[in-house]
Amino acid sequence: MSPSGLRAVCLAVPVFLVSAARAQLIPIKTIPIAQGDQFQVFPSNNLGLGGVSVALPDSLGDPFANPATMARLRASRFFSSPTIYSVSGNAGGGRSLPFAMLSRRANWYGGLALVLQQVDPSRPPHQGGGFIDLVQRPLPGGTTIPGPDLRAHGNQYAFGMVGRSWQSSNLSVGASALWTGLHALDGVDLLYSGSRRVEQTGHAIDLRVGALKQWPGEAGVRSLEAIVVHNRFAATHTVLYADQVWDPDLQQIVLEPRTEHNYDQTNTWGAQLKYQLPLATPGWSIGWLATVNRATHPKLPNYEISNVTVIPWDPGRTYAYDLGLGLSKVLGRATFGVDAIYEPIRSYTWADATTPRVTVDGDTIPLGGKTVENRFKFSNAVFRIGVGHDVDLEGTSKMLGFQFGLAVRSISYQLRQADHLEASLRELRTGWFEWTPSWGLTLRFPEFELRYRGRVTKGAGRPGTQSIGVVDGFALSSATILAAPSGPLNLIDVDTSTHQISLSLPLH
Amino acid sequence: MSLSVRPVCVALLVLAAACDETPPTTAFPESLDAQLRRSIGQWSVAPIAPMPYQDPALIALGRALMFDKILSGNRDISCATCHEPALHATDGLPLAIGTGGTGTAAARTLGPGRSFVPRNAPSLLNSGIGLFYVFWDGRLSRFGPSPPEVNLPGGLNVIAAQAMMPVLNRREMRGEPGDLDVFANPNELAQFGDSQAAQIWQALMQRLLAIPEYVNLFNAAYRDLPQSSLTFAQAAQAIAAFQMAELMKTNSPFDRYLRRDDNALSVEEKRGGVLFFTRARCVSCHNGPFLGGQSFSNSGVPQLGPGVGQGAPLDLGRGALPNNQFYQFAFRVPPLRNVELTAPYFHDGTFSTLESVVAHYNDVPKSLRDFNPATLPAAFQSSYHGGQATIDSILRTLDFQLRTPLQLTETEQHELVAFLKSLTDPAARDLSYLVPASVPSGLPVR
Repeated sequence: MSPSGLRAVCLAVPVFLVSAARAQLIPIKTIPIAQGDQFQVFPSNNLGLGGVSVALPDSLGDPFANPATMARLRASRFFSSPTIYSVSGNAGGGRSLPFAMLSRRANWYGGLALVLQQVDPSRPPHQGGGFIDLVQRPLPGGTTIPGPDLRAHGNQYAFGMVGRSWQSSNLSVGASALWTGLHALDGVDLLYSGSRRVEQTGHAIDLRVGALKQWPGEAGVRSLEAIVVHNRFAATHTVLYADQVWDPDLQQIVLEPRTEHNYDQTNTWGAQLKYQLPLATPGWSIGWLATVNRATHPKLPNYEISNVTVIPWDPGRTYAYDLGLGLSKVLGRATFGVDAIYEPIRSYTWADATTPRVTVDGDTIPLGGKTVENRFKFSNAVFRIGVGHDVDLEGTSKMLGFQFGLAVRSISYQLRQADHLEASLRELRTGWFEWTPSWGLTLRFPEFELRYRGRVTKGAGRPGTQSIGVVDGFALSSATILAAPSGPLNLIDVDTSTHQISLSLPLH
Repeated sequence: MSLSVRPVCVALLVLAAACDETPPTTAFPESLDAQLRRSIGQWSVAPIAPMPYQDPALIALGRALMFDKILSGNRDISCATCHEPALHATDGLPLAIGTGGTGTAAARTLGPGRSFVPRNAPSLLNSGIGLFYVFWDGRLSRFGPSPPEVNLPGGLNVIAAQAMMPVLNRREMRGEPGDLDVFANPNELAQFGDSQAAQIWQALMQRLLAIPEYVNLFNAAYRDLPQSSLTFAQAAQAIAAFQMAELMKTNSPFDRYLRRDDNALSVEEKRGGVLFFTRARCVSCHNGPFLGGQSFSNSGVPQLGPGVGQGAPLDLGRGALPNNQFYQFAFRVPPLRNVELTAPYFHDGTFSTLESVVAHYNDVPKSLRDFNPATLPAAFQSSYHGGQATIDSILRTLDFQLRTPLQLTETEQHELVAFLKSLTDPAARDLSYLVPASVPSGLPVR
């Protein structure tokens, strides 16, 4: 995407999103911003297949999405899946090192995982920092305004699950909890145009209860998965600005520090049903899924976009749905899968009047009244396809597997914004595609399995900079983000590349 | 359960095809705040940081001097006469009335045989902000040498340097040879020649230090300086300290908006602001942290008053200064904070309201040609110079930005005025508390 001056609506609601949970928490975004694969921390077998999942189980990833599916695990296993991602143009990146153990004993099973993560600061592509060193207004104690924070910051994840199977009824039930301590969300430091640095602190809790019912049959196994998710995200962004002010004493423009505390809170309830059944044709399966999310945003950050303070502290709510159909074939050593998912989403946000405000018509909006209302109607779609094949290495007991896949996400939406202060109504329709080719390589040894998965997402960008070192635009993290419409947004094309090596060791 | 693969594939293809529909991107108008902040961002407009600490003893001395008529030759006019706090540190008159005049504010009248000061008395509000140029013709600046008519002592900031000058001016404060002061005593300051600035300042200090209360005030303000070393520069610095401490009013709604408070301005003010920074072209001159004060412009202002220097009865403005012929009829672009309070406007006060100023800028050539002197106070009408040759001379060097009409509608002009009024610091509306009950000389304050 060229810096086309796209009239971007800077509402974006990417829900806190762990990769394995992608099917249950529906991501939303309103501008073609590149997202780092920060939450791709758990292993996934289908990552190289474009991420197909509706009709093709993911033997590695499913237990982290629906704890009940761990019932499919035949034996206890140890996993590790070091993952790195990077945004091209030196615009950001990160590294994750998870350790996970999934254990099974009779009808009970459980798992633990710990992840350490380091996220690099996000930067405009091809830019070093972009601040002009003006004279700083003397601060008490002789301190100075700190410069841009170029250090990487760490996040921690702790995951636990427990479940039970009832063999007689082929029913499994499981529950999981994921706690995340957050100090770095990819892209957040670009959300505050012109800021010196952004310190992030926060946490997320993801609770899940899932069930898996299977019906063995001649052609294969039918299965029904059900899951209920509750996700709570809360973060504080302490944003330091270096504002230009005129100093009558020094008689020149100097920099003066200003600190803002922004709170980002989103609570999401979600539910999903997923059904798979074998077709008459050998090896083929079909599946469908239906998901519903309800997200509330009690507090949202006061983002600045293109040097514009957007609607402060605007709350909102979002209803997101998806309906998906998938087809897969696993015959012999060949694997094929395809998903098509439709995601209708409705989001409603507004700005509260923090003081009584007089409209252009002379009316008064009382304290707490709505000054601006935004109504978004999304009509998104996802199409994924992947193929894989395993080959025996002659003369050995080893096996080599290949995967290739492609995921295409189509995002389109309509916004109607009513500004009651200006007595104006504005409307926008826009959309774009994001393409994600993926690939994978698997080496199976008798003692362990080694997988490499990679993918690169194209079709999105990151904010560039205006002249005079002011960030022009908006980036997107994986936290809930709701902001108001802004002016022209220039994005510079970037690719997000992710590489994951996962090691799976059976525990005897 | 038995299903065929083919219909499923067809269904998937149909779904995939549905994904291929990309709606066209339609333009989404910027919000008012986005427009305003973007347009402000290009012009180095910045809020004003607090003034540095001023010594209370210095402020007290400056306050006494500001309101004391002892600084004038005839002891009949103080700095505050033309920079009256109740009138927001100006006098409300198109042209100032100096020594010999009687009355205050709009009721002030010329003394017998006196003429108007050639230019409007600018407000002293925010004069301590660090102005680049002082006086309507900018003959005193932060960067250049002393004005041609006076050799100022070194080490003074521009506002203190400015305070040294009105006491030298015969029309403003010093008086004419032969004048008697209010006690019918000879005006000793008027006896000096116009080039004897040092002697005039010295004579003023003799007056001041003959009053015990001033001795105490000077000693308190300049503890380390022996009385014999005090000069009028110290008095000027005290006046400057008073101005910096008491007349800085920079917390306007617009300043709060600059400090990221979107609620500080109304919709109407924001619309006016967008006009100010874009189509109305105001910002081409009124830019920078003071919204002006950095340049000179011939704004096509009607000529009024006795005139200045060799150009009299016209006032060529900066063009009358040596080596500045390029600036014929150009005057300093004034800073705009608190502009609502400092009428009348322009170098000769020919426009009495912001509405009339905006209407003038909407079509400057027409406004100049059609100017009606009846809009002026009666005492000033006869000194209007509206001859065709004068108008043609002004238009010949008119600022090129003003040569074509802005074509602002009445609503837009109203919005522009609303924006200009948002530059008012509420604390500047009533400054009458600054007027002391008495001054050390015992002369009447008003």
